[in-house]
Amino acid sequence: MGLLALGTALDWPEAKKRADQVRKWGIEQLLANWHRAKGKERNALLWGDEVEYLVVAVDDETKKARLSLAQAEILKSLAKDEALWKEGNSSHSQNKEHEGEEPPHFHPEFGRFMLEATPGKPWGIDFKDLLKVESNMKWRREVAKAHMAPNESPITLTTFPRLGTKDDYIQPYYPPSGPALRSQFVPDEIANPHIRFPTLAANIRSRRGRKIELNVPVYKDINTPQPFKDPTVDYDLHNWPEDDDVRNGAAKDGHVYMDAMAFGMGSCCLQITFQAKNMTEGRKLYDQLSPLGPILLALTAATPIYKGFLVDTDVRWNQISGAVDDRTREELGELPLRNDRWRIPKSRYASNSTYISQDPRLRKEYLDPNLIIDEDIKKRLIDDGMDDLLATHFAHLFIRDPLVIFSEDLEELDLNKADHFENLQSTNWQHMRFKPPPPDKDDIGWRVEFRSMEIQMTDFENAAFSIFIVLVTRAILSFDLNFYIPIQRTTENMETAHARNAVLEQKFYFRKDPFARRRQNQQSPNGSNVSSTTSSAHNTPPPSPPLNPVESEYDLMTIADIINGSADGSFPGLIPLVESYLNSVNVDVETRCSLASYLDLIRKRANGTLWTGAKWIREFVASHPGYKHDSVVSEEICYDLVKAVDEMTVKEGKHGTVGWELLRGKKN
Amino acid sequence: MKLILSTSNLMTSGSTVIRPPTEKSNVELINSLRANLHAAQSTSPSDYTTWTKSSPHALYIPATDFAQGLSEERSQYDITVKLFYLPGIPASRRCAHTREAIDLVLKELHVDSIDLLIVSFPGILFDADDDSEEEEEGSSDNGSEEPDDFDSIIQTWRTLEELQEQGMIAQLGVAEFGSERLARFLPHTKVKPSVDQINLKDCCVVPKSLILYAKQEHIQLLTHNDCNDVLPVGTTRELLGPGEKGVGILASAPDKDDGIQGDVEPQWVVKYTAVVKDRGVVENKGYFALADVGSCVVKP
Repeated sequence: MGLLALGTALDWPEAKKRADQVRKWGIEQLLANWHRAKGKERNALLWGDEVEYLVVAVDDETKKARLSLAQAEILKSLAKDEALWKEGNSSHSQNKEHEGEEPPHFHPEFGRFMLEATPGKPWGIDFKDLLKVESNMKWRREVAKAHMAPNESPITLTTFPRLGTKDDYIQPYYPPSGPALRSQFVPDEIANPHIRFPTLAANIRSRRGRKIELNVPVYKDINTPQPFKDPTVDYDLHNWPEDDDVRNGAAKDGHVYMDAMAFGMGSCCLQITFQAKNMTEGRKLYDQLSPLGPILLALTAATPIYKGFLVDTDVRWNQISGAVDDRTREELGELPLRNDRWRIPKSRYASNSTYISQDPRLRKEYLDPNLIIDEDIKKRLIDDGMDDLLATHFAHLFIRDPLVIFSEDLEELDLNKADHFENLQSTNWQHMRFKPPPPDKDDIGWRVEFRSMEIQMTDFENAAFSIFIVLVTRAILSFDLNFYIPIQRTTENMETAHARNAVLEQKFYFRKDPFARRRQNQQSPNGSNVSSTTSSAHNTPPPSPPLNPVESEYDLMTIADIINGSADGSFPGLIPLVESYLNSVNVDVETRCSLASYLDLIRKRANGTLWTGAKWIREFVASHPGYKHDSVVSEEICYDLVKAVDEMTVKEGKHGTVGWELLRGKKN
Repeated sequence: MKLILSTSNLMTSGSTVIRPPTEKSNVELINSLRANLHAAQSTSPSDYTTWTKSSPHALYIPATDFAQGLSEERSQYDITVKLFYLPGIPASRRCAHTREAIDLVLKELHVDSIDLLIVSFPGILFDADDDSEEEEEGSSDNGSEEPDDFDSIIQTWRTLEELQEQGMIAQLGVAEFGSERLARFLPHTKVKPSVDQINLKDCCVVPKSLILYAKQEHIQLLTHNDCNDVLPVGTTRELLGPGEKGVGILASAPDKDDGIQGDVEPQWVVKYTAVVKDRGVVENKGYFALADVGSCVVKP
């Protein structure tokens, strides 16, 4: 969640007045940085994964599982340990298995019940590095747990099943309805108390002019009341003006209603960041990974429960999107534009809307024809030498207002910093993020973040998906793959990925032929190479043969076909591409076998042999003796689920233990 | 006459590289040769002399001008070359063949050395289920071929050691050696192989004895997915012959007059890959294959 600067945070009316200044300064910082860094070359592949945890406390006597708000104490204790570690005095540095490895880093997150952990040092492409990822993830979990109370555990469920229910689902307990969130379901204390977070939540709400409004369709089981009216909604609350929201129809029939940022930003994700060789490669990866976002979202689906109810969607994405949606009624198109500048089709947290690679294969038909940009900002960027595509990208991100502004930062513009730029950049939560090098770190290059995946319950799965994406990037670069489709299709795919069991039951738009078309006679008679798209191809016009209609380039495909290849061989499949890549590099036997087990997991998730987390959780609830087939996930079920997930992180479904259906596919 | 076949860079030439992941085969080589040949031929379907290049000793199919090279400095790359000595070809020719093959790769990539040369001897098949590979000799599927005898392997290795000493090759490797063969082989070497490349049919049943022995001898066990007899005679004639699948260079049979006459005898195949070291990107991968054609081919 970025660096946690301290200072005096402006509330919304004040922040709004300074928004133009922050944007302007942010653009100047971007330009200064871009001029400095655009020529950076030959950066190695380094990459990092981010794993997010819920901290859950179980009470075995009363059979209750609660979210623990102990984030601050845990982080303090972890930081102390890390300091000792550096002096060589910590007990964890004695851990033989991780000798020579840097201790993992832990970070606060929005939810006070959350932790984020990253490897102590970024990973490289040495294939032996890939073998360390899973054990490092397990180590992070152990280290985190060692700093918690004995009954607390770091759990990698995307959301806590009973967040926002009427019972005491948090410890220590605080009643709901505070001044920042004004939620009728969660207290302000649910959020990290650092001033950044309550300000973020309050300013989003204030800018919107009402509370966050999340309505997730309830899963209709045989005993679910019809019509379903969320029974936990209180229509008679009068603490805050926003309590009127529900009386004005905020809670929709047939849906589970939620009203606070914590329901979205309190979700755990698995995010991967790659360093590219240079800006050109970064821009290419940003574009080529973008169509994979929805596919990996559906493959990692793990979010079938909200606020104590089974819902009819499988993933978290739209809930986070809605949870930080600061658009006004005018921007949403509900009122005519009077005060605001644009109608804005998407939340700040959404699938991305731009392609940025100077790639001759990028056809203008792939771009979003309705992209909203700030023309003044684009002009400023172009006047200073930035190319049209990249200028458009940033001019699009900068249509948003900065949400958290510290007055101390507005005194002087420092072009050697990126704080104002990051203020906008890092509150544009799109499914891909293109990251310029930090101005103060000379050894870091251009990076791309892949952000759509849901966290998985075990580290085996988290490692498998992380490594899969890394290998896909290598295959993209090695084979010069082309996954371009019109970017609106990716937006549609993102919606499709929400459907229950989308991984097996839905089809997604995907490009039919990922290969560059084979040129006639690759080398021209004078010996110049006409086939290479790796050199300065972006300066040359697109290939001259007439192009087929864009619509003929893509098709609706199943995830099984996209991942494993189509039966008729027309689409090669991401796994065969990765295998083909691996067959072209020197991989030692041990590494290849581990990689095979990771690729096997993904192959079998895609073809349905293994369940997604979402399906497993649904089945767990459905087969629980306490479940009444009324969509309600009771405290008892929640407790058993958390216990099962905790067990699964250790036993990983081996020998028919819990979770074998999503990890092994067979009982022994 | 020598026929020098080439694939050009497979990485940028599209779907020829894809095959079912578990299939151990020479599909990659054959498909990519066919694709490259057909692409070249399409410029002048009836007259191969326009798209091949004839030199006093060889016919390059298709014509290649070795103009491409690598895009970055030599030090950025790991260059691995795998040389397949083909069945039925006398071991006495291997010295010349090795130089010939390496020279082509160096010329193609514009470099003066390679990092790893792996050699594959005909008839040696590693069987993961049974590490006593001695029994398999002679029981390979292409039955008619004699397994490579141990002396000729040693003799070939001498050539490789020389090239290594000259600085042309940094490391040497073998393919499909089981632990017993390795143990027999190592005492005869000046330069030990750094790599033993084995094919894992069903991934991950590597005999423990081999793992331990390799570890002890500091030999890295790498995986591959190549076929032992990568370029059979029949396939070569099919590729180059007049039929529907061919490009009309060779005659349909040694004594027919619908193309170059005589027996065709593939001599060796070499595969090369250039990987950008700290980014794991395969920039260039391709094959050269050499076949002799003519009436005076020495029968093995």
